Amino acid sequence: MKPVLAALALTASLALPGVATARPVTLTAALNNYGGDGAYLAIYVTDPKGAYAGTLWVSGGKSKYYRHLTDWHRATGGAPAEINGITGASVGAGRTLKITLDLADALIDAGYTLHVDAAVENMRDSPNEIAAPLTIDGAGKPVRGRRYVASLTYDM
Amino acid sequence: MTKTLALLFASTALAAGVGLPAWSATRTPGDGASQSAVELFDVGRERAPLVLVSDDDDHEDDDDEDRGDRRSSQTDDDDEEEDDADDDQGGARHPAPIAPTAPPQNGLFVKGAPPQVQVN
Repeated sequence: MKPVLAALALTASLALPGVATARPVTLTAALNNYGGDGAYLAIYVTDPKGAYAGTLWVSGGKSKYYRHLTDWHRATGGAPAEINGITGASVGAGRTLKITLDLADALIDAGYTLHVDAAVENMRDSPNEIAAPLTIDGAGKPVRGRRYVASLTYDM
Repeated sequence: MTKTLALLFASTALAAGVGLPAWSATRTPGDGASQSAVELFDVGRERAPLVLVSDDDDHEDDDDEDRGDRRSSQTDDDDEEEDDADDDQGGARHPAPIAPTAPPQNGLFVKGAPPQVQVN
């Protein structure tokens, strides 16, 4: 009986790390009425060392404008592999973008930072418009943007 | 007589050895059961598909790129506003669609769970 229990415990310990490793997170970005065209946004994450970790979402469909999302583009080169399946249309002034995704648990309270780069046609680029640490405590608390984004909130 | 026959046989063999491959190479395709070595190689070449590669999704307006961009605070200031009818209103007329495919496996997402997106 004991070998059976031991084998069961071993298989459970091997299987469990693959379960419950993510949580649903809702990102809400409210844009200012800046009086311009739709904003291009890149929402991405950096690791505790400040190195680019990955992209969560890009608003804006024309790749030739991605270079105006300066910091994000510097890290990724705008590579399609980085953003396949996570792009949408640009976001109009005064509008609110809401994204719900299953974010890896390992990113929460682990020194990772959520960033937003923004750009609007014929207006100034805004790299690092927002930088917000991904923490349980920070959830639900709006973070102000510098130019185009009035606030970014993440709820989990 | 034997010598003459031997000479005739040798010259015929030589002519056949040299002339047949040359004759075979100059034949046009489809004129008989035989097929030259050249035709055999050509078969593979003819079956290769013609592939047209597009440069990118915005090739029709790439000329704008060179003219400058007033939006940027940097030196490049191209005129990009002309072709933006679908983007300019952003969420106003074209709400961001739900991502149609799975997100990239960059360690941030759970496998195969595309983000749900809404613009209000």
